[in-house]
Amino acid sequence: MIVSKAFWKIVLKNIGSIILPTVILLMFGTISVTSVDSTAQYEARKPALVIFNHDENVGLTKNFIEYLEENATIKTGYEDDDRLKDALFYEEVTAVIEIPENFHQDMALGHDPEVKMRSSAGYVAELAKVAVRRYLSVAKGYSALHLSEQELVAKVDKAIANGVKTEMKAAVDTSKYAKASRYYSFANYTILSCFITIICLIMSAFNREQVRKRNLVGAIDIKKMNRILLRNCCIYVLAAWVFYVVISVFVLGVEVVFTAQGALYAVNSLVFAACATTIAYLISIFALSAGAVNGLQNVLALGTSFLCGAFVPAEYLPDSVLAFAHVLPSYYYIDANDKIMKIQQFDAATMVPILLEIAVVAGFCVLFVALANIISKKRQRIA
Amino acid sequence: MKNVIEVKHLTKSYKTNKAVDDLSLTVKEGEILGLLGPNGSGKTTTMNCILSLLKFDNGEINIFGKEMKPDAYDIKSKIGVVFQDVAVFDELTVYGNIDYFCGLYIEDKNTRAQYVEDALKLVGLEDNKSQYPKQLSGGLLRRLNIACGIAHKPKLIFLDEPTVAVDPQSRNNILEGIKKLRDDGATIIYTTHYMEEVEILCDRVIILDHGKIIASGTNDELKALAKIEEKVTIEVPELAPKQLSGFEKIKNVSEVVYDNGVLKIVYRKGKNNLIDMMEYLKANKIQYNKIFSERPTLNDVFLELTGKELRD
Ligand SMILES: Nc1ncnc2c1ncn2[C@@H]1O[C@H](COP(=O)(O)OP(=O)(O)OP(=O)(O)O)[C@@H](O)[C@H]1O
Ligand SMILES: [Mg+2]
Repeated sequence: MIVSKAFWKIVLKNIGSIILPTVILLMFGTISVTSVDSTAQYEARKPALVIFNHDENVGLTKNFIEYLEENATIKTGYEDDDRLKDALFYEEVTAVIEIPENFHQDMALGHDPEVKMRSSAGYVAELAKVAVRRYLSVAKGYSALHLSEQELVAKVDKAIANGVKTEMKAAVDTSKYAKASRYYSFANYTILSCFITIICLIMSAFNREQVRKRNLVGAIDIKKMNRILLRNCCIYVLAAWVFYVVISVFVLGVEVVFTAQGALYAVNSLVFAACATTIAYLISIFALSAGAVNGLQNVLALGTSFLCGAFVPAEYLPDSVLAFAHVLPSYYYIDANDKIMKIQQFDAATMVPILLEIAVVAGFCVLFVALANIISKKRQRIA
Repeated sequence: MKNVIEVKHLTKSYKTNKAVDDLSLTVKEGEILGLLGPNGSGKTTTMNCILSLLKFDNGEINIFGKEMKPDAYDIKSKIGVVFQDVAVFDELTVYGNIDYFCGLYIEDKNTRAQYVEDALKLVGLEDNKSQYPKQLSGGLLRRLNIACGIAHKPKLIFLDEPTVAVDPQSRNNILEGIKKLRDDGATIIYTTHYMEEVEILCDRVIILDHGKIIASGTNDELKALAKIEEKVTIEVPELAPKQLSGFEKIKNVSEVVYDNGVLKIVYRKGKNNLIDMMEYLKANKIQYNKIFSERPTLNDVFLELTGKELRD
């Protein structure tokens, strides 16, 4: 049909404007993968801990510190609290652990001494927390057996030694998803940029006053024509989305994409792609010029990507910016990507927040379509 | 001959401004009807109402014997429209544009390919097929605009000032093309404020002012409305006031103006006017350089009927 033919011709004419954001996405994805995969990077990602030991360095306390030394880099010279806070903020130090007085005795007696922990943001900190909690829970478990401290130390040591490997493997897995998260979060920019550009340019071309009049006098139902245009927009969006997911197999690897997390990333991005389409649909009602579309596309794609943490992780952004970002669908899309990365196990507690955020993005779709319908009714001048 | 269009008592207002005021007209099969009027006289509004692009307050419009409505696709399929403003896709080539607008009417690919070629030939854009509208000059763009409107070989064609801002060569080309369409059997409504075009092109003319028809008929019928027969312009380097007043006494002369070495004389009806004039010049030994005589134009008719010029 002639309308579809013109649609795809216009897509081809504008293909240049969608290549750049796609190439940037690929570059961004590939670079982050190689850098995190190297062992050097892996070493660097070992948690850096500061330990304040208020106990004697004997027995279980000594063993605990040795365990930490094995699994993390221990840093010293952070007695000044302000300095420590800065170090935590800049992730120079991953976590600070305070071992209380009488820790080794209390542990052996089966009490529950509190080990205070402060940590920076990010998954390395999560990793450190998991490692510490793991040691403490194992120790607590054996302390219930009322063993002598010597026996307790031996048992804990053995149990932990067996478990360490899996602990480290979990760490690698998380970093693997970190790349996926970054790829998909960066896709916020690519999806918005490409979809708004293409859909707006095409819809504006068909809706420009003069062309619209000529379409109206044509022997074709204008409503049918709009349906054809919308259908083709959907085909374009789906094709582009499939393309980005297929590309992600090469960028992120089979072992990331073909997992439950991989599927979640895909679903999340599909809903966001739908949302980007409705944004484009809303904008296209105004039949803007090519220049205006390009400007707006830049503002929206780059703006939301900065504000919502597609380029810079959200935890580095000021609170005021993040508060504002909450009114943007991109925020929920990117935050869901972060949450998917941090999934340790699939249960309601982890899944519900993710699904809720996806639902919020879907809600934005409905909102934008409703807005578009209201505005286009108001703008209908030619009867 | 059949009536292709019948408009009865069409009225259309924009708020308090009556753009079209109780207008009735018919267009006969195979004719070129000129709609002539100054800027803002309601030509485009009339056309848009006939095409169901605008809702109107009052009146009745029949095309091919049926009531015209926004969803009368069987009627629309036989109509071609060339709008006043260029309406093409910047993103499509010359060929792509014609193909698209033709495709809104003609589904069959082979027929369409043939029609597009015909349209390209008609407007003389064969060599510009693969160019984009941005690469075309104003005149060529106008030609593309026309090709897009008529490629599907419609029986009824509306052209709204298709030659505005077009160089003389392109204009002649366009006018020839339009005549060819009529000769191929199309009925044409041609809107313009250039009286010369109407005189060359149109079989019948309707003159509009303030949304009303102030005169209609063939060129000759309209010119008969002007109470003048001809206008004579003579270059006279020097002229005494007495000699000037003598001109006014010549038979049939209705008006004499002398300005800057140019003498303009307007005649009422009458024969042999020029001969009398020459004799007067000779008898009074008046030196002169050039003489030329014009028949009245539609502008004179318009002037006669409204007291103002067609073009400002
Ligand atoms: N959309 C509109 N809203 C309000 N008034 C309008 C509109 N379109 C036209 N008019 C008015 O209606 C009258 C007729 O306009 P129209 O465009 O039909 O004139 P026209 O004869 O085509 O003039 P032109 O030679 O400039 O194209 C004018 O007074 C114009 O100001
Ligand atoms: Mg007009």
